[in-house]
Amino acid sequence: MTELIMTRLMENAAQLFLLLALAPLVTGVIRTLKARLQTRRGPGILQPYRDLSKLFGKGMVIPETASWIFVATPWVVFFSTLLAGLMIPMVAAEAPLGLFGGVLAVIYLLGLGRFFLALSGLDSGSSFGGLGSSREMTISALAEPAMMLAIFTVAIGAGSTGLTEIAGAAIGQNWRFLAPAQMFAFAALALVLIAETGRIPVDNPDTHLELTMIHEAMILEYSGPYLALIEWAASIKQLVLMTLLINCFWPIGLQPTWFGFGALQGIGWLLAKLFLLSCAIVLLETVNAKMRLFRVPELLAVAFTLGSLALVSTFLF
Amino acid sequence: MLMAPFLNLQLGDRIVTLMAALVLVLQIAMVTQRWIVVHIRIFAAQSLFLAMIAATIAWFNHAPHLYVAAALTLVVKVILVPILFQRLVRRMKINEQIEPIVNVPLSVVIAGGLTLVGYVVAASFYRPDEPGLGHNALAVAISLFLIGFFNLLNRRKALTQVLALLSLENGLFLAAISLTYGMPLIVELGVFFDVLVAAMVLGILVYRIRETFESVDVSRLRRLKG
Repeated sequence: MTELIMTRLMENAAQLFLLLALAPLVTGVIRTLKARLQTRRGPGILQPYRDLSKLFGKGMVIPETASWIFVATPWVVFFSTLLAGLMIPMVAAEAPLGLFGGVLAVIYLLGLGRFFLALSGLDSGSSFGGLGSSREMTISALAEPAMMLAIFTVAIGAGSTGLTEIAGAAIGQNWRFLAPAQMFAFAALALVLIAETGRIPVDNPDTHLELTMIHEAMILEYSGPYLALIEWAASIKQLVLMTLLINCFWPIGLQPTWFGFGALQGIGWLLAKLFLLSCAIVLLETVNAKMRLFRVPELLAVAFTLGSLALVSTFLF
Repeated sequence: MLMAPFLNLQLGDRIVTLMAALVLVLQIAMVTQRWIVVHIRIFAAQSLFLAMIAATIAWFNHAPHLYVAAALTLVVKVILVPILFQRLVRRMKINEQIEPIVNVPLSVVIAGGLTLVGYVVAASFYRPDEPGLGHNALAVAISLFLIGFFNLLNRRKALTQVLALLSLENGLFLAAISLTYGMPLIVELGVFFDVLVAAMVLGILVYRIRETFESVDVSRLRRLKG
């Protein structure tokens, strides 16, 4: 019994370390690749780490009108995202915290973070904060049904909403993402990923232009360590959603357990798959212009339709 | 395991199923499209996949005359018709944005609903005991037909209506090759000649509409009444 608990603790620690360490790297790689594709040199892939350490060393300013929500939000966002990250299979098919909840828990933990971010945007009292919050909630309200439909398609295939079972059912079926239902669900989830992580056709993560920003508008009043926590949480959320996407649909290289030589192999596969997905995201960001805000519902309607087609075609054929 | 049937299918069946799904996605992409030129290119891509389906069925069922149908699809729908239409768009200098009657999010949801209808209708034709290529090809064909028809109603400009009509015809072609492994070659030839002539005649007609009414918006044709 103690051995089991020790194993679990080890798994949790390993995945926690991986999440914390890898998330800024993914952001950095995406930024650098994008810069290279646009024939710029770019800041280098380690820049997000430098940004974070600099922000942690700074003082901060808290608006006079802000209440306890403003102070609590960075912590809530950071820890709910980390908790969600521990519930997904990254290297091993078994998620470290898989016992506590499946994919629905992951979605709603991320939802909790988003809810607090939106509240703090309102709480700071600046007009940009409110604007960002209302936009973020509009988009997430449209993205969530599409995400649910796509996730349910995968869950029906595995007969469970537990991510351990989903990943377990997927192991050994490396080409199953070529089935139409899986493909529709994959496309829907990819569109949701773009909307949720605030990537280019929906939101631009690099701009502070008041007309277009969504995520940046909400956190405009944050500075210093709190800003660092929120930025870190945002990149962890991106890593979590990317890992969820690749491990649900393309589980090649996912290991049965965390131990032994297999784990290294699993980490290698994970990095390779994340790199491929990052390349796809970079390509998509470079060829597309940012959409007008009023066009975003069209994109998400496509995601919703693809999600429902996925669910329908699972049942009929 | 609901995914298992797909993995247990024969290779040819899997290829056809996959491509049919892509054809369906492109049909829905057409519903969302705002730019006429992109619309034409999506149609070309859809026809390319259709040609690949025909070639796959020809290969796995040893039906050599389907190669001819595939080649004709490639030449007529992937190359000739798109080039013809792109030249038409450039020559007429029409506003290159499509203004649908029903707004885009609602159109997409309607298209999804029509696909559902297609799948439900096709399910009654489905016999698990009879081996055949392309399990959801008939469902996709019916959905293409329905969405094409909806697209036809949903467009104001004559040129985009012609494109919708051609994508509807793609659905008919898919149904024909997936159900019967190809009609007799002479029928196929007739159909392709038809499509080419229809595209040219409609192209000229569109041009005349524009000459006469200074717009290709068909709702202005009411002025004929007097």
